[in-house]
Amino acid sequence: MINSIDLILVLILLAVLLSLGSSRMMALIKIMALQGAMVSLVPIFIEPQARLSNGGILFFQLMLLIKAVLIPGLLYMALNRIAIKREVEPLIGYHASLLVGLGLVMLSAYITRRMGLSLPGDYALLLITAITTTGGGLFLMMSRTKAITQVIGYLMLENGIYLVGTALTKHTHNIYLVEFGVLLDLLAGVMIMGIILHNINRAFDDVDTAYLEQLKD
Amino acid sequence: MLEAVFCLPLFAGLIAFLLPVKLGRGVLVVGALLHLQLTLLAWLSDFPPLLPGYFSTAPAGILVLLVTSFIFVFIAPYSIFYMREQEMQSEPIFIGSMLLFLGTMSMAALAEHPIVFWIAIEATTLVSAPLIFVNRSKKALEATWKYVLICSVGIALALLGFFFITLSMDRAGIDVPLTFSSLNTAAKHLDPLWLKIGFIFVIIGFGTKMGLAPMHTWLPDAHSEAPSPASALLSGALLNCAFLGIFKVHTLMVLAGLGDFSGSLLIGFGLFSILVAGIFILKQPDYKRMLAYSSIENMGVIAFGVGIGGMALYGAMLHLIHHSLLKSSLFLSAGNLLLGFGSKIVAQCGGMTRLLPRTFVSFFAGFLGISGLPPFGVFVSELLILIGAFKAGHPVAGGLFIASLALVVAGFARIVTSMSFGPSRQEILVPEQTLRIVSPFALLLTSAVLCVWMPEPLHQIIINTIAVIGGTIHG
Repeated sequence: MINSIDLILVLILLAVLLSLGSSRMMALIKIMALQGAMVSLVPIFIEPQARLSNGGILFFQLMLLIKAVLIPGLLYMALNRIAIKREVEPLIGYHASLLVGLGLVMLSAYITRRMGLSLPGDYALLLITAITTTGGGLFLMMSRTKAITQVIGYLMLENGIYLVGTALTKHTHNIYLVEFGVLLDLLAGVMIMGIILHNINRAFDDVDTAYLEQLKD
Repeated sequence: MLEAVFCLPLFAGLIAFLLPVKLGRGVLVVGALLHLQLTLLAWLSDFPPLLPGYFSTAPAGILVLLVTSFIFVFIAPYSIFYMREQEMQSEPIFIGSMLLFLGTMSMAALAEHPIVFWIAIEATTLVSAPLIFVNRSKKALEATWKYVLICSVGIALALLGFFFITLSMDRAGIDVPLTFSSLNTAAKHLDPLWLKIGFIFVIIGFGTKMGLAPMHTWLPDAHSEAPSPASALLSGALLNCAFLGIFKVHTLMVLAGLGDFSGSLLIGFGLFSILVAGIFILKQPDYKRMLAYSSIENMGVIAFGVGIGGMALYGAMLHLIHHSLLKSSLFLSAGNLLLGFGSKIVAQCGGMTRLLPRTFVSFFAGFLGISGLPPFGVFVSELLILIGAFKAGHPVAGGLFIASLALVVAGFARIVTSMSFGPSRQEILVPEQTLRIVSPFALLLTSAVLCVWMPEPLHQIIINTIAVIGGTIHG
């Protein structure tokens, strides 16, 4: 079991690094779909018996559907309607971003060791992955100017926070109804962001947030 | 069935999306009135929740709900007459979103489970985004984008904070249901380190939504670009809901014996917000942005009062009520000004006394009230906070508080005098209308009445809210 969960976590980490190094938005959306799918699988592999008993199966199917299919699908639709498909001038270059990503992994490993937590089982890698994903999402939002890349950064941040929750808290607290509410918020959020994105594209013929600088003091 | 309080506006909102405009307007007003009745029922009589693990009638939540529902009743009819002048394309969306906004805010006010509270607050961001975007200008687009993105990220951090609080429970080996009340009873045994880290994330997360500096950057844009009734709701109701999240966790911290830590953080953020607002108000060319910065200032005052505790805590709760009443009144008056002058720039407006005399009275009275002059309630609340600060041994913070407040009043006064008595324009676009004057005046009147006479149940609920963490009226 340990091996399969490690494999999933490594894939999530890889997705973070890939997204930091890629300029094509289509590739970014595919990476997000992969990461979403992997993140939804993590809890099943942590505590298979406890997870799959009471109504959990339905919830994880829904989660997989939302994170790996619906949200990337919405982003795909948004991307198809806009003219620009590449991030041309990121604030921080791709190679530098990759380096930052590697730095994040190391920082997370350091934090995890310092926290000295008695994690459930031997899942130190889970916490490292969670912190890296959260930090990577924040970094992606700050270092890119295209609105759609910022949405992807936000999604990555949410994935990371979900992983932190899975890694740190006992699973008896998780009530599917509540978790489903969080997912629903996320889905609606991406939908609203997609609508605004479409309107930004219509107003400026671009989705660069550098145009959004009229309001300031 | 407590859940009806938020289910009713949620359903009404969904229906209003589909209805023709005139019917939708009716639904808006009727929904607002029914909501107020349900709120009064939840407040004054026994109204048990169906899902006690998720919702409850905790006094702090009821107080926020009451304020929200009360100002919504006045904003709803105003917004109908406001929209008539505006020729809005997507009015059904506006009406539906207003009701959904009311529903999600009520849900946040009644939430007992931290994650349910989080879901409701995130939902308020999503359903209020269309309210800001409804004018469809490039500026509105920018304001909406910043609002949704900055607030979503901020609130995501608050979720992380709630996870850390859960962790502090697990680390201590306590197994109680994850609700605010059961956390409060177990507060003494929680792991203090993780509780502290959790509070930092919560204050940054919900502080973003509440408009505490330096996380306030979205607020002036969103409040100035939204149509005035929506600004009034954002400022008068939404900020309180975000504050409620911080207040609940602060309560937990005080009960866990970490009140000094969370209190100093609140004092720091509060003072910084007042100061930042004062600096930006001083040279502000846009009167709606000025009102937005004034909201940041008042949220700072509330955070400051809660951080100090004791008598100041009572003052902070009073301030919450009166700020909502006065600020929503000011935003509604600003809506009348915007219709009349067609501009948000102070330099292009002038001669309010001659052209819009009744709006002048409501705007000027609102200015006096929010600056802390009697007969409006902010006078009492700020006085209580100040006395509380000096009594609790924070003379430096108290001094900074007065100095920053003076800065805000100076900036505010410059703008209001220039608009009221400055060089007059020749004509106005839309004349004053009694129907659009009633609401701002009613809200002002409520604040003035509550300043001299407070109904016993209202007094009681404030006392119940603050008694848990040692707030009193007698210092």
